[in-house]
Amino acid sequence: MTTNAEEMELKDRLKLIESMIAEGRRTTGSWAWTFVFWGLAYYVAIGWTAYNQWPWAWLVTMGGAWLLCWAIIRWKHGCTPEKRPGTTIGRAIYATWCAMGTSMCLLLPALGFSGRFNQHVFVAVVASMLGLANGASGILLRWKAQIASAIVWWLASIAACFGTDNQCSVVFVAAIFFCQIVFGVYGMILESSARKLEAKHA
Amino acid sequence: MPELPELNPIIHGKLRLALLSLLSGVEEAEFTWLRAKTGSTDGNLGAQLLKLEEAGYASVEKKFVQRKPQSLYRLTEAGRAALTEYVVALKQLLGGAME
Repeated sequence: MTTNAEEMELKDRLKLIESMIAEGRRTTGSWAWTFVFWGLAYYVAIGWTAYNQWPWAWLVTMGGAWLLCWAIIRWKHGCTPEKRPGTTIGRAIYATWCAMGTSMCLLLPALGFSGRFNQHVFVAVVASMLGLANGASGILLRWKAQIASAIVWWLASIAACFGTDNQCSVVFVAAIFFCQIVFGVYGMILESSARKLEAKHA
Repeated sequence: MPELPELNPIIHGKLRLALLSLLSGVEEAEFTWLRAKTGSTDGNLGAQLLKLEEAGYASVEKKFVQRKPQSLYRLTEAGRAALTEYVVALKQLLGGAME
């Protein structure tokens, strides 16, 4: 068998492997702000539509928000000293959100142009798609808070199929508040603590 | 008495072991990220990565991004298998001390 010093050395190697694998898988990239950002963008679009009923308010707000979001991501990426490596989970989450964004960009304007668009259909479709993306991300990350957020979106999607226009609006605004603003702020707090912990261990 | 396994000397070096373990958790990693995570110098890191490449445990892709050179490292199938074998051998050597 091994002597005590050798045993310590081998245990040290095992610890090194474990800590390095964990280091590689750690994804402390900050994305929670995007939830708050898009939540606020939805509120701007809702407010704008309610203010003057301009039919292009949603399209213009979402287009502007997309450009601004892209610019912030580019800027943040440029400020990072070294590029974070890609992981399979990271790529799966990226693919889920990209596919959801593309579906929304294609389906919602098509519904608008075809004249088959109404508030209930809009909220049901948007909430259902956000439920899908949050649900998939939550399952991939094994993050209960995001799965809970997905459940709220799915419930909002079902609720949007019933009731009056006003009730539908209240459901949408409430879902945005809980699933975008509250969840986003919670995520930002978690990311901030993870960064502090990382700095402490560095 | 069963024969004790030998540890792969290419992997046993601390920095090379750290590099293989880091690469096993990601799809690919830049040289600068590996340097930041291991706290190694450019020269030492480059030399150890070259040894892993020569052993067929890691592969490198060199390209230019916005006119800056970028080296992306990946763990090969042989590298993953060697790391797994190393961990098995390590656990076997430690035997009862693991409990």
